[in-house]
Amino acid sequence: MSVPPHDRPVAGAPAVELAGITKRFGDVLANDGIDLAVARGEVHAVVGENGAGKSTLMSVLYGLHRPDAGQVLRAGVPVRLRSPADAIAHGLGMVHQRLRLFPGLSVAENVVIGAEPVRRGMLDRAAADRAVAGLSERYGLDVDPSARVGELPVGVRQRVEILKALYRRAEVLILDEPTAVLTPGETEGLLRMVREFAAEGVSVLLVTHKLEEVLAASDRVTVLRGGRVTGRFDTAATSADELVQAMIGRSLGAPPHGPRPTGTPSGPAEAMAYVLEVRDLHLRDQDGVAAVAEVSFGVRAGEIVGLAGVAGSGQRELVEAVTGLRRAGSGEVLLEGRPVEGGRERRVAYVPADRAGRATAPIMSLADNLLMGEQRGIRLRPDRMRQRAAALVERFSIRASSVRAPIAQLSGGNAQKAVLARELSRDTPVLVVEEPTQGVDVGAQERIHALLAEARDAGRAVLLQSSELSELRALADRVLVMFEGRVVADLPVAEATDERLGAAMTGAARPEQGDAEATG
Amino acid sequence: MTGVENPVGTPPTTSAPARGDGARRVGVVVRRLVLSPAVLSVAGALALTTIVMIAVGVDPSLAYPALVRGALMDGNLEYTLAAYVPTLGMAVAFAIPLRAGEFNLGGDGQLSLGGIVAAALALHAGGSYVVPLVGAALAGALVAGLSAPLRTRLGIPAIVSTLLLSAPAVSLASYLARFPLAEPGTGLAQTPLLPESARLPAFGSSSYVTIALPLVAALTALWLYADARTVPGYEIRALGANREFARYGGVRVDRMAAVTLAAGGAFAGLVGGLIVLGPPYRFVDGALTAPGYTFTAIAAVLLAAGRPPAIPAAVALLTILQAGGQGMEREAGVPSQLTQIVQGLIIVIVSVAAVVRSRWTGRQA
Repeated sequence: MSVPPHDRPVAGAPAVELAGITKRFGDVLANDGIDLAVARGEVHAVVGENGAGKSTLMSVLYGLHRPDAGQVLRAGVPVRLRSPADAIAHGLGMVHQRLRLFPGLSVAENVVIGAEPVRRGMLDRAAADRAVAGLSERYGLDVDPSARVGELPVGVRQRVEILKALYRRAEVLILDEPTAVLTPGETEGLLRMVREFAAEGVSVLLVTHKLEEVLAASDRVTVLRGGRVTGRFDTAATSADELVQAMIGRSLGAPPHGPRPTGTPSGPAEAMAYVLEVRDLHLRDQDGVAAVAEVSFGVRAGEIVGLAGVAGSGQRELVEAVTGLRRAGSGEVLLEGRPVEGGRERRVAYVPADRAGRATAPIMSLADNLLMGEQRGIRLRPDRMRQRAAALVERFSIRASSVRAPIAQLSGGNAQKAVLARELSRDTPVLVVEEPTQGVDVGAQERIHALLAEARDAGRAVLLQSSELSELRALADRVLVMFEGRVVADLPVAEATDERLGAAMTGAARPEQGDAEATG
Repeated sequence: MTGVENPVGTPPTTSAPARGDGARRVGVVVRRLVLSPAVLSVAGALALTTIVMIAVGVDPSLAYPALVRGALMDGNLEYTLAAYVPTLGMAVAFAIPLRAGEFNLGGDGQLSLGGIVAAALALHAGGSYVVPLVGAALAGALVAGLSAPLRTRLGIPAIVSTLLLSAPAVSLASYLARFPLAEPGTGLAQTPLLPESARLPAFGSSSYVTIALPLVAALTALWLYADARTVPGYEIRALGANREFARYGGVRVDRMAAVTLAAGGAFAGLVGGLIVLGPPYRFVDGALTAPGYTFTAIAAVLLAAGRPPAIPAAVALLTILQAGGQGMEREAGVPSQLTQIVQGLIIVIVSVAAVVRSRWTGRQA
């Protein structure tokens, strides 16, 4: 463990303060001059969408990343955090989204690990049990120290993680998306605990993108977007709408722009059958938690349907069901009247959001990446493959040194154009696009929007998931809003104002019949 | 080496696009080649070995020629070739699943079971060497294939299950050789001599070099072709490069991984059969695993660093080092263990170079 700070704590200083934190990963500026201070006994929510820089900031605070600029102050004294061990020595504790426990050991053993009470060179089990029981009682955590962790429900395991931090005398507790794995009942219990910690003088950093929780449990809120602070609020004096605007960017009243043709085919389209139809779809995620429920909608040929919602509201699972990558729990997905088959559905072209993880194999060549999904038969004809790749490079103006070079060498915008080139060149009735302009420069953005409009005009049914409301407004004919796995709004683009979308995204516009059963 | 050019999908470090603007371009290619991990590591290992030789008072100018003579001249070539064939086969057995991102560390078990099955079929089924070889390949495929459901159903990584299944497979082969299939009356842990009809015909003048050489060479060439020029080869490479990308592209990832494991096992089993059906024409307990073909082969594949066409050359280098080590010991008084040290150094340098390189490119990205 490292040496405690030499300087004396400054009276009245914040329990922990991040000053001007900047962290860059390659070309990506993950944190850009972030200031954030948390007082003793304060619950401070850090909100923002995926990729807003929350995790990076917390990693800096917990000593997992070293910032390129800026410093961390603890009780007014600058501290250098080179590792989580340093952070723990300075009274910081973190509960990760993925719990890091040994399922075969007891609660007490998990809690004391690395800082065990020792008696004659052996683990003092009784002392460990006593310490854990005492902490559990003091903070109202209600955990049996002798229970085997592997047999406990997720909510209780999370409390074990919290106990672990408290046992190490954490005065600042970082909770990273703590409710992602919890049921509504467990969530409520956790938030109550968080208030109790604060009452005991512990400072809590609550990282989340669920605004209800923020409003229910925090004292103050810092909103991040694109690595910068876009809003600081006192919870008592703010609203979900205000937070959403800070989270998704202020584009209030921006007129719909972009390559929309004046004569949208809404007239004839009304009469046309759905090319893509989803009927009463229910999906569970890998932990068995309901991710999508009662979703029904349709997309016609020549139509772009937008899919909005705060990240994690079920959009990803829905898209995976449509593309055949995830099996439906119940309900059905129909393409031109025939159900989607398991495995990758060949009748759907799909541009995934996760470029390096799913849409490409970074270490393979551009030509190899452009082939995926179109490989047929037995023989591969490398020269023909390269010719086709060269043609796509030309047509979609992808800037690449060679089609043989790994796609990882391309810039984000060019790699994204390559993915679009591959998917748009496939002859499919349906096109599904996730976050088409994420991490893409402005020039490429315009080009990508034009390509999507082109696909629509060519008569494809397009489902466009995006966290950029301006993008949805520029391209979509209708916007569906998801909240907690359900479609809570279906708005024609003319009615899709920021206010209405924002309200729907935070669940304020929940369908009336849903309210009765929503109490826990 | 086959004449296959740099296959699509591998980093273009050794591709030679020497068309167009002449000298500068050639210069770039040469520089890349010289700085490639394989060349660096061999050169580095030789340099270190030379230093060791000088330090212990051996004249390198005597030791190295002795090494080359011990491997390639004075009638030693046939022994070197006899070791080259199984090592190359085992290298392919490791490389096939590796292309799909799976590690097959169970080569010894697949090899032994292949060998004992070939011996059993040769002794009891009669006929030519074809049936025993097919049986050997199937046995190897079966053992390696077991790891596929273990992975998909139970989540046990192939690198673990292949290694763990190897020891029981070796033991089973050993048991069969000692008891049910043992040569009666001798008490030796070996099968009786196999019938003439099942023995592999010699290839050329030496009885140590059998038709196993052209057979393994042809199968290796076939695999190299499949890897670079066929759709299944492409799907396997994609699977190894990014599993989720392959799934997204419609590759049946679990099935494909199982196929590559079984194919690797089949190769290993076949090698076992080829060894047993060659001189001394019987399964001798321990004779298949003692020379360490499996791990020399793994070292060669790692040395080839993701470029399949380089595997035959890498195997040749390591085989020559091993075979030549004996000659060096005789003539220059250098312990033959020194060649194992060289081999170890090569692998260490390859690994370090790979890590440094990925860190470096990671920082650039």
